[in-house]
Amino acid sequence: MDMIASAAIAWEGRVGLESEVAQLQRGDLDALSALLARYQNRLYRYLLRLVREPAEAEDLFQQTWVRVAEKIRQYDSKRNFEAWLFTVARNIAIDHLRRIRPESLDEPIPGMPGESPVTRLPSGERPVLDGIMDRERSGRLAQALELLPVSQREVLTLRFEEEMKLEEIADVIDAPLSTVKTRLRRGLDRLRNTLETNYPGEVWQ
Amino acid sequence: MSDHEKVRELLALSAADALTRAEEEQVMNHIRTCADCSAEVDRWRLLAAGMRRLPTPQPRPVIVERARARAAIRLAEEAEHRWHRIVMLGVILFAWAMTLISWPVVKLVSGGILGMLDPGLNHAWIAFAIFTTIVWISGGAAAVFLSLQQRRERSLA
Repeated sequence: MDMIASAAIAWEGRVGLESEVAQLQRGDLDALSALLARYQNRLYRYLLRLVREPAEAEDLFQQTWVRVAEKIRQYDSKRNFEAWLFTVARNIAIDHLRRIRPESLDEPIPGMPGESPVTRLPSGERPVLDGIMDRERSGRLAQALELLPVSQREVLTLRFEEEMKLEEIADVIDAPLSTVKTRLRRGLDRLRNTLETNYPGEVWQ
Repeated sequence: MSDHEKVRELLALSAADALTRAEEEQVMNHIRTCADCSAEVDRWRLLAAGMRRLPTPQPRPVIVERARARAAIRLAEEAEHRWHRIVMLGVILFAWAMTLISWPVVKLVSGGILGMLDPGLNHAWIAFAIFTTIVWISGGAAAVFLSLQQRRERSLA
């Protein structure tokens, strides 16, 4: 019963999304607002994971929506809209990194960074102490994630935070499935290695 | 490479739900009998769960509003460009139609009905060609001027 209900909700969501995209292609501003509301947090999180600096992520976030407005009529409705949207954002972010910090596209930054803006947010409604410990662990995990090379960091965030399928990730980063798997495994390896080296004995749930 | 080592390589991807069905079965069959790999896959699963539970950073409302405003302006500009292209195409087609239609009219006025049947060039044709060229150049210059003016107004806004 739950499966039927969740399938019905997913179907409704997909139909709603398709309708919003079609309306945006006709220049409807309400559809723009609806799509912004739908994707603002996920898109911003993805951009922040890529560039690490909130000010840069905010600027790229705006550029992404301007580019969406520019290119939406060229969007092919047979393609997955999310993958298209994240590809637009990715292209803008990669261009930005190539221009501002070309070295960041190849190598991770050595050492652990200080307090990251990524860690400033509250978690769910669990007991206070659990909440604090969770926040600390999440903060450390987010910091370790920032140390990965962009290519691994983006695959990890698309898989675990955006919950995209491997095929969708391959579509976004324009790479074969085997590359996605390799980056995913190397990213997880490196992430775990960083955490175990810096925080031995910690449980990373 | 032994079966144990092969499965070991797959454990991280298993926690990420990134294996094929056959690979996943291979992992499951192995960890039933290998306590070491079973503990290892649990560690990967904890890490994967931690990744899934990372807090979602949110953009500031002012940034979202700014993005909406900028995108709305871009949408309007795109619609305007499309309309301009359609109008320009229409005007060009109309101008060519008028040019082609006016040629027999000019011949009729300058040479009468017989003049229309004369395929040769005459003075009226030269005047007509000069007139048409001036009109087209003036039209082009006006279009460029209007476009530059509009661009300047947009940049000031």
